[in-house]
Amino acid sequence: MKKPGFMHTTAGDDLQRDPSPAYTNRLSRRDSLKLLAALAASTMLPALSGCEPVPTTTQTGNATGTEHWPELKLPAINAKGYGKDPNLIMPPEAPWPLTLTPAQLTTLALLSDILVPQEGDSPSASQVQVPSVVDEWVSAPYPSQQRDRLTILSALAWIDDEAQLRFNGQFSALTAKQQLAIVDDIAYDNENTPLQFQRIAKAFARLRNLVLAAYFCTPQGIKDIGYLGNVPIAGVYPGPTAEAYAHLDNTLAQLGLTEFAYQVA
Amino acid sequence: MDDFAYEVLIVGSGAGGAMAAYELTRQGHKVLLLEAGRNYDPKTETPMFRPNSAAPLMGASTPDKDFGFYDSTVDGGWQVPGEPYTKAEGSDFLWWRARMLGGRTNHWGRYSLRFSEHDFKGKSRDGLGADWPFEYNDIAPWYDKTEALIGVCGTNTGLDDMPPSGEGILQPPPTPRVPELLIAAAAKKHGITAVPMHRAVLTKPLDSRAACFYATPCGHGCSIGAAFQTTTSLLPMAQATGNLRIITDAMVKTVTVDSSGKVTGISYIDKKTATEQQLNARVIILAASACESARILLNSKTTTHPNGLANSSGQVGRNLMDSTGAGLSALVPALMNRPRYNEDGHTANHLFIPWWGHKAQANKELDFPRGYHFELGGRFSEPGAYVGGNLQGYGPALKQQVRANYGAYVSFALRGEMLPNEHCYMDIDPEVKDKWGIPVARFHWQWSEHELKQVEHGLKTAKAILETMGAEVGELPAAEDAIKKGGEIIHEVGTTRMGSSSADSVTNQWGQSWDCPNLFVMDGGVFASNPHKNCTLTIMTLAMRNSAWLAEQLKAGKL
Repeated sequence: MKKPGFMHTTAGDDLQRDPSPAYTNRLSRRDSLKLLAALAASTMLPALSGCEPVPTTTQTGNATGTEHWPELKLPAINAKGYGKDPNLIMPPEAPWPLTLTPAQLTTLALLSDILVPQEGDSPSASQVQVPSVVDEWVSAPYPSQQRDRLTILSALAWIDDEAQLRFNGQFSALTAKQQLAIVDDIAYDNENTPLQFQRIAKAFARLRNLVLAAYFCTPQGIKDIGYLGNVPIAGVYPGPTAEAYAHLDNTLAQLGLTEFAYQVA
Repeated sequence: MDDFAYEVLIVGSGAGGAMAAYELTRQGHKVLLLEAGRNYDPKTETPMFRPNSAAPLMGASTPDKDFGFYDSTVDGGWQVPGEPYTKAEGSDFLWWRARMLGGRTNHWGRYSLRFSEHDFKGKSRDGLGADWPFEYNDIAPWYDKTEALIGVCGTNTGLDDMPPSGEGILQPPPTPRVPELLIAAAAKKHGITAVPMHRAVLTKPLDSRAACFYATPCGHGCSIGAAFQTTTSLLPMAQATGNLRIITDAMVKTVTVDSSGKVTGISYIDKKTATEQQLNARVIILAASACESARILLNSKTTTHPNGLANSSGQVGRNLMDSTGAGLSALVPALMNRPRYNEDGHTANHLFIPWWGHKAQANKELDFPRGYHFELGGRFSEPGAYVGGNLQGYGPALKQQVRANYGAYVSFALRGEMLPNEHCYMDIDPEVKDKWGIPVARFHWQWSEHELKQVEHGLKTAKAILETMGAEVGELPAAEDAIKKGGEIIHEVGTTRMGSSSADSVTNQWGQSWDCPNLFVMDGGVFASNPHKNCTLTIMTLAMRNSAWLAEQLKAGKL
């Protein structure tokens, strides 16, 4: 399977691809079989995946309102990176083994779609294979990704622990309302965040950032955010549109900077 | 090479080495060029139009690819496997190397600003550092020739920091974009002028190179040749004369001398066979990069040259300078939710802020002696591995925060002149060798008050401009925390400086070693000072001028 942008000569072609309606049924960006296996395994075949076992977690609290944190002991990632001279024209499809378990991928897909649900023409995060990208990220052998691995796997474990403590079930088995009740408590990191949610809110913020990045750099996300570049322009670079200049003029006026405006030739 | 009677052997295929090869072969001299890295062809290897989503980790930087997956640098970066460098205790320094044909010109920023008479004569003005051994007027025609050859877009601004190019030399600059225009207005309120950047990017076709089509970051390399790199211009042009041969994967170890101390050739490691090879040459030009050339000289120690070759002055490895670097960025509320359009442009600064403080420094109103400029950031760039902002919540409201922030961050990157000081130098580590058995460079580094005061001034100025744009900046970091590490701006120069006396410099104004007349240096090592203007244009201009002088000497039978 090719990644977006590789089967075609222009990014525009990718925008024409039919979005698949059900995320259990889609072709993934890199490794759909892995994710399909994971999703199947999450409901009935827990031994299907060749991934590492679900990390053991310990709880320091036993009721909602008490701080708890999974102290994960993650095995080191010993895979090699893509090296100093990778093929830039045809980047490696699977640069290192993916490591998320079926259960982790399932929780991740649910959280990704809570963070980025389908909106009109814009697909949800899992519809554009965001969980696969997150899996690639946290499975990478580089220091910064290894730090994120601990943060994000801890967040996933915490969320399942919280689901057990609060609703006696895995996060993925909860009703949508129950899931949102947990997310509502951890999705805001500010001065009002209760003490027991401060640590998870920070970890969740890292996951949120990664999900958003993975989403907005897909062809669909690029369309959603309005990035219009990466297309060749013949002749002179046109610069801002009339609408953009009008917005700038208005901004300069509001800031009292009109008299200092740069004169575009 | 028995079938190829070369006169000049050049070490390095980057800005200096490729320009020397171009000028010498053009004048009919046969040249053999050695490159430590592999062969590299931008026409087939540049990842044009490749989206971040198709790269591992959304194209993010990693220790394998420090500037992101698609950066053109191969087999290099802050570390080269098997080829370490060391740092003296208490020193921090980063050394960027590209082990590839074309060297760092494949990925450089292409900013191409001329040094001025003011820049060349700093010591005469304030007693600090060193003067260059020529006047601006001596080099001005060579700047014109170099700019015309490589293709530079920009304008003659008339500002005292920017000497004018000859009539018709510069290509038209691209139209400024909205964040740059807002910064320009806010800066103007503070009496600071933003102007078109000068960049070695074609806005009109030149020779076999196409004009920029305003897509694909130049740092990935440029398969159409619009963004200047030696691999799409000087090297193929030199090869077309029939007078150039190139050996890649050739890591030079030492320059060899005869029993009288006269330079006779070089010794190099053929990386493919891991064997040591010898080559004789009538004239040798080192252009391996400032610190690599100095390393070769220091490693070429013999009884006739006990301190290293060309080092009777003791200045080889000394006077190591980088540009100062610091950055400040902020979210500008007035830019949130602004109308979308294609803001790629030539993918770097259309406008920048040159140094405006010449008069203030002359009037002793500033507490630091040398200037800086600001490179300006902020545009609708391709989404990548990181999303900025203090994001909260989830769902449609979360996505709207990301959309609102998109293109609303602006940044100021300070690039300033540092002065040489006795604590900043490189020598040879007495213990450590690389995998080829070559003793490695060891770096010593310490910023002085001159640089810290300059950075402090820059941060305050950037904050003032940002606040004029309505941004909240908060408390500024201390200059010693904000300043980038030595070497991090990748403008390291000065380790084989030129001068007017053999007592305190390594080469004369032609890059010719005082000690060994048939040995030249044509990389950034020869810089007598390091003005805030990015060094590559001047490396190329000096290499062209000095190769033309060398060609005259060869024709006159003087070498």
